[in-house]
Amino acid sequence: MNKVRQIGFSYAFLFPSFILTLVLGIYPLGWAIRYMFYDYKGYGEAKFTGFYNFQRLLRDTQYWESVVNTFVYAGGKLIITIPLCLALAVILNQKLKGRNFLRAIYFMPTIISSAVMAVVFFIIFNSYNGILNQYLMKFNIISERIDWLGPKHAMMTTILIAVWGAVGNYMLLFLAGLQNIPNDVYESASLDGANKRQQFWYLTIPMLGPVLQIVIMLAIINSLKGYETIMVLTEGGPIGKTEVMYLYVYKLFFPTPSSGTVVDQQFGYGSAVGFTTAVIVGIITLLYHMLSKRLNKMQ
Amino acid sequence: MYKKIGTVVLSVFLAVALAACGNSSNNAGNEATNKPAESDAATAPASNEKKTKIVYWTGDRHDMDYIKEVIQSFNDTNDSNIEVEMVVKTDDYNQAIDLAFASGQAPDLLRVKENTIQAYVTKGYLAPIDDLMTEKMKQEFPLIQDFNQIGGKVYSLPNYGSTLRLVYNKELFAKAGIASPPKSLAEMVDAAKKITEVGKADGAYGFALNFKSPDSAFGRSARVIAEVSGIGGFGYDFKTARFDFTGFKDIIQAYKQMYDDGSTLPGMEALDIDPLRAQFAEGKIGMYISFSSEPGVYKNQFPAKIEWAAAPVPSIDGTIKGVSSFVGGQWLAINSSSKNQEAAWKFMEYMYADEILKTYHEKGFGISMVPSISAVASKPDINGIEGFLPTENDGTWPLNPTVTVEGIKSNDAFFKYMLGEGNLDEIIKDLNTRYNAALDKAIASGEVKAEPKPDFDPMKLGAK
Repeated sequence: MNKVRQIGFSYAFLFPSFILTLVLGIYPLGWAIRYMFYDYKGYGEAKFTGFYNFQRLLRDTQYWESVVNTFVYAGGKLIITIPLCLALAVILNQKLKGRNFLRAIYFMPTIISSAVMAVVFFIIFNSYNGILNQYLMKFNIISERIDWLGPKHAMMTTILIAVWGAVGNYMLLFLAGLQNIPNDVYESASLDGANKRQQFWYLTIPMLGPVLQIVIMLAIINSLKGYETIMVLTEGGPIGKTEVMYLYVYKLFFPTPSSGTVVDQQFGYGSAVGFTTAVIVGIITLLYHMLSKRLNKMQ
Repeated sequence: MYKKIGTVVLSVFLAVALAACGNSSNNAGNEATNKPAESDAATAPASNEKKTKIVYWTGDRHDMDYIKEVIQSFNDTNDSNIEVEMVVKTDDYNQAIDLAFASGQAPDLLRVKENTIQAYVTKGYLAPIDDLMTEKMKQEFPLIQDFNQIGGKVYSLPNYGSTLRLVYNKELFAKAGIASPPKSLAEMVDAAKKITEVGKADGAYGFALNFKSPDSAFGRSARVIAEVSGIGGFGYDFKTARFDFTGFKDIIQAYKQMYDDGSTLPGMEALDIDPLRAQFAEGKIGMYISFSSEPGVYKNQFPAKIEWAAAPVPSIDGTIKGVSSFVGGQWLAINSSSKNQEAAWKFMEYMYADEILKTYHEKGFGISMVPSISAVASKPDINGIEGFLPTENDGTWPLNPTVTVEGIKSNDAFFKYMLGEGNLDEIIKDLNTRYNAALDKAIASGEVKAEPKPDFDPMKLGAK
């Protein structure tokens, strides 16, 4: 009887999140899966077109350029963010004066709206009166304005902004991981003569393994999915240089209105592109998962 | 037994608590939808349960204070016990409307525009007003095919329209020794160069546009240069009923020339319209092309620190071969699913009263598109409006067919060329092929009707 009651309680607690998943996850997914086989503008008649949307997707160079851009964006963000977060976490895990204050400072970007962040960064990076250019010129580091949001540098700028936004969050996860490593391990290592560098490489890193795996996985997924800051900062421009996959999908559903032409929403094609994008993100996450599992086994 | 009773009581208590949470969160949701976000503004009337409350959504903020006053006056004086709440949605207005209709939280009345009314009618958002209009209204308000009358039914009525002009900094023009605003593309390129030469040291450049969105930048500039040169502003040739972007070649070349000359504001690629206006108000931009909402912007939003004026946009070769777009034809519309349509119409009728429209025009919020108003109203009391007032060369171009084009859109392709990617002849050839393929597809599916009009005369689309 007790077991039945326990199972009943388990289901009762699962029920609300199941309903939420059903309504906010499964239903929209089913909706998108249905309409990706249709020509549908969000109103009027939806015309069944079979696999036409996918054929169109294969020859849609703008989309595939956005896929490449996403990989550059995500790769750049990961390469900078992970080591930086780890270094910050290690430093802020030591007995420093004001470390709690510093932790709060580094974490702050996480709680600021990404749209607000993008507006502030526009003020910093814009070419004509951006604060960054002004300071660089004042200190004679550059002589001509740099077009940070122009075609050449826009991707690099968006990556730097993304790093700024992500550092606090992953730093916190690393900190939690570091605090779970017992002090005795370090004590016995130093008795055995291991110096700080050896302790870091041979104790800290391996013992942070599980946290590191989760952080990297979260960072990969977030980087591949992120588009909000880019949408506000550059709208994917100039000339598509910062267009990422989910921003492209968003624009198919909600195109920028322009005076004189009727807004052209493409729900059918947007669903097909959205689904394909989700599959791409899923495959990459799966590959990473398999790789980290294999590495675990090797260890 | 006690345990059982306890469990039941606890369950009931939890259920009630959850329901209460549900209600409060629902209310919060409603409030979040009906009340504006931080950047929005609203005229929230005092609560009174007996009153019929209606909600009006708009994306216009330039007239916000005046409309607030008008609504307050309606709330105070109407004898039908109606209270109107206005919500100004500053960003993503179209998305907010779609989401509100999808979730059954749409406003009773909404602002519709020349590029949304057609889709809103097809989506079933709007209620026709033919049967509600009085005889006087039927005579007073011009009905414009595809812009307020769709499928034979009227869904909205015009208040103001927008003309398009070259907005220029008189001080920079004088400093560069330019006597009058450019009339041709060659003159425009030359003026931009001269202004940059004299202004660059102070951070002032000849030309700028909001290329963060190429659609918005070209849609307010290249479009109207094409129109006054007798070419459809969006590449559609009404004579042949085919897309043909060939006429845009000189325009895009001129833009590229200004960019290559360094006559454009640095960072124009990421510029939105408001940051552009802020720079113009500071005297950092020689000229740009935009709608007649600019005088209001430089009076209220970014008070101009410079002497500026507006002039007709240049044509390709200096000769005028077509009318310049007078954009508009619609203002308010009623939600077809509103439970308070009668009250909504009463408010709409009030908003379209002569006195309110006349004041709207005179205060300079927009140029009246209603002949009986523009005939009696005084000149708008706002600096810079003179150059925007409609002339015989302003008129309404017909709506071009909406087609779903595969691949890069014309404005993005042109902007790519401006920044040095591709060959313009090949780009135009490719655009013509893809746009016409999309047109043929839309015609075949019955979505679009495109019939050649060999007698179409772009000079005879005069002001309504």
